[in-house]
Amino acid sequence: MRARKRYQIAFFALGWLIAIGVLFQLGLGEGFQSIYDAVSSRTLRMAQSFSDAEGNALRSVRHTSRSEYLTPMRPTLSSLDALRNPSHMLFGAYDGGFPNTFAGLEKFEAQMQYKFPIISFYVAWGDKPNEQFPTRMVETIDRMGSVPMITWEPWVVDFDEGIRKNLSPEAEREYGSLAAIARGEYDFYIVPWAKGAAGYHKPIFLRFAHEMNDPYRYPWGPQNGNRPEDFIAAWRHVHLIFQKMGADNVLWVWSPHISMPWFEYYYPGREFVDWIGVGVLNYGNVASWSRWWSFHQILEKAYPALLKLEKPIMICEFGTLTKGGNAYEWYRQAFYHIDHTYRRGVRAIVFFNQESDATMSTAALNWSVTQDPTARSLVAEQLATHSAL
Amino acid sequence: MQSEQAWSDTAEVFRHRRAAPIHLWERWLLGILLFLGLWSVVYFGVWWFRLAHVNHPVLFVLLSLATWYGIFRMIVGWYNAFHLEQPDVQAARDGLSVAIFTTASPGEPYEMFVRTLAAAREILYPHTTYLLDDTRDPRFGELARQMGAVHMELIGFPGAKAGKINEALKRTDEEFILVLDPDHIPFRQFLHRVLGYFRDPGVGFVQVSQAYHNANESFVARAAAEQTFSFYGPIMQGMNGTGTSVAIGANCTFRRTALDSVGGHGLGLAEDLVTSIRLHAAGWRSVYVPEVVSRGLVPADLGSFLKQQLKWSRGVHEVLFHEYPRAFPRLSMHQRIAYFMIGSYYVVGLSTFIYIAIPLIYLWTGRQPAAFLLSEYIRHALPVGILGVFIYRFAQRWLCDPVRERGLHWRGTLLKVGSWSVYLKGLFLSVLGIAVPYIPTAKERRRDRFWRLARVPVITVLASAMTVMWTVWRELYLLPESEVRITTEVTFGMLFFMIMNAILMSGRLYAAWIDREREET
Repeated sequence: MRARKRYQIAFFALGWLIAIGVLFQLGLGEGFQSIYDAVSSRTLRMAQSFSDAEGNALRSVRHTSRSEYLTPMRPTLSSLDALRNPSHMLFGAYDGGFPNTFAGLEKFEAQMQYKFPIISFYVAWGDKPNEQFPTRMVETIDRMGSVPMITWEPWVVDFDEGIRKNLSPEAEREYGSLAAIARGEYDFYIVPWAKGAAGYHKPIFLRFAHEMNDPYRYPWGPQNGNRPEDFIAAWRHVHLIFQKMGADNVLWVWSPHISMPWFEYYYPGREFVDWIGVGVLNYGNVASWSRWWSFHQILEKAYPALLKLEKPIMICEFGTLTKGGNAYEWYRQAFYHIDHTYRRGVRAIVFFNQESDATMSTAALNWSVTQDPTARSLVAEQLATHSAL
Repeated sequence: MQSEQAWSDTAEVFRHRRAAPIHLWERWLLGILLFLGLWSVVYFGVWWFRLAHVNHPVLFVLLSLATWYGIFRMIVGWYNAFHLEQPDVQAARDGLSVAIFTTASPGEPYEMFVRTLAAAREILYPHTTYLLDDTRDPRFGELARQMGAVHMELIGFPGAKAGKINEALKRTDEEFILVLDPDHIPFRQFLHRVLGYFRDPGVGFVQVSQAYHNANESFVARAAAEQTFSFYGPIMQGMNGTGTSVAIGANCTFRRTALDSVGGHGLGLAEDLVTSIRLHAAGWRSVYVPEVVSRGLVPADLGSFLKQQLKWSRGVHEVLFHEYPRAFPRLSMHQRIAYFMIGSYYVVGLSTFIYIAIPLIYLWTGRQPAAFLLSEYIRHALPVGILGVFIYRFAQRWLCDPVRERGLHWRGTLLKVGSWSVYLKGLFLSVLGIAVPYIPTAKERRRDRFWRLARVPVITVLASAMTVMWTVWRELYLLPESEVRITTEVTFGMLFFMIMNAILMSGRLYAAWIDREREET
């Protein structure tokens, strides 16, 4: 056979390939996508049944399970209405080992002799596998008897320029990113995420784009041309997608930075918010801009304005460093004020159990209560008292 | 079961066969399949090479090397299939002077030579058979005389075959030389089917298919034969199309002037390949005739098979490291690719090792090479796998003897995967420059101790079993429940791959068990 004939065949085959490509463009791709979605949801379910089989085996060998400790709270933790207006103070924890390991949380809980009803962790936006809806993580938390809280951070630069041709270049993307979200430019990411959340069915706290009013911290802050109305539009847009995807199981935590001014202007409206989230972290004197603030000093100014919104308040990040003051005193006073001054508003507290926080400065910061033995036993006692109420 | 019967019918086995002709519609369909295959590889590749997928950089690089080594070989195989070409039948001119060289070495069974020489005498085209003998066994001289062959006593020449051949070349003057392996029983039409191609003065050698008559003797024989079917079927026909068909194994017919131009037959563990690359580098062309015109013996016991594989893997790497760089500038682009592919075939030992190591590393240390879900991997790799198998099966229509050779070749695959340590050893020996002695492959079944035959697969299976126990223990008693649950997918995925690897060792274990030494009572 001559070479010419061979190339004729090659071009003919190429023609077929192009035809297939066109068919894909015309919707065959979506057909495949739906098949794929069905297959992947089935594999997820299969993985979950493997995981549950493992859990049953473990329970029969160890005769104990974390979720048993939380059984008395089950009615509250499984009901959206109860979680919107809990009768008890809810405690939670974030651990620095998430999402790779639960060993840190297990250790923390062993030291506190307590099981936290809320487990908090962070998910960034992007194309990476660990930036998609964390099904495995939330299912695990559910089987451990707790409710997940996800802080969902729109790091828009984490989308790959190579495969996201419709997005602006990475260098320009952060500017006005909230308006872009509101325009629907990131729906390709939000929609599957919302579907994932809907598929989970059980309650999730979702804390989207937190500290949006702080110009010094995150790219979705005002320094990048993100105005309050852009934030509100973005929030409502995301909220709408979740509604459309049937993700009614999401509890929306609106979480401004309360030490920064004008946070009230960022409020998306009462029908779009279930909880107010507040970070109360005392940096002590580790940085030039910081000094030792007590829990009360951090919260008191903003509290009346927050209270007016008539939503339960969650201390989403709760903790102090030990440099520049007395950690035991800090926690003692904090609990005093929580029980007295802020009794009406504060309904949940999430410990920030991060032993090496490298986000702020050169040295890693230790936020864990457990580093100070006196503070540790005080907090353990407080947890016991509150859960006995 | 049907094929068992096909192998036991001697009259059928010893019949002359030629691969089915290539129809135009088959070429079109193959073309489409190849493009779909290429598309599936692109789809997989674009997904695989994402920075976000790197979890443990070193392990990811290793896993990528193993995966893409296999895919690269498959793509080159497809490219080769695209060039599939069979030579038109050329009638042999009368009056050519032809010699048949067959060699006898100490230890080779006398009865084998009775059959081979008798068959060589029956070859229709006029020729002279030479028995190149260093056995010092008087029976062989007598046998040669009976069979009308010329007996040449050639003692003390290097190599098992090549030294004797070179010496015999000096003592003879025939224009064409068929080098016939002594275990091969040639059919009467052998020379008629190959000599016609020498009408083209540029053709230096003509290779025919290497087929076997004892493939149903044992599991190992069947597996070893299966490993060669596709090579002597569609692969060599594709190489014929690109002008790269090699002299490999037995039964190559050479033009004397071609051999003279490269200083005679090459030496070494892969002497045929050495000769072949030198002839190609000297500008000689080659023809592959996809016909069964002789049948020989394939190793029937595991010990012999493993020795043969070590010899080949060492020899082939030798060609890659020593002959290939020298010949490189004078080879055509297609020949460069072809010899590289043959030379790197046994790297499969290294990639299998990586595949075996990765689940073990994860289950003992928690180091995970890549950060993607198993389901994602399956989704992207499945098209490549399906099309790979499909094209492999489709190309089987050009096997030389489809009735006996068609199939999934699972025995061959099992034994190949099980022999990974031998290939790896061959690779190391070549890199370190350690020689392996040339011993002719045994012609009768031998036994050996089970442990010696199956050390590596037994260790692999034991390590897997221990890892399963350790993992179950750790999950049940040591890890926090949440930890167990968060790693469910990875742990089960890795366990699955590890158990698969252990199962893939079963072919060699079975063969070793059959060929183990037993107390005779």
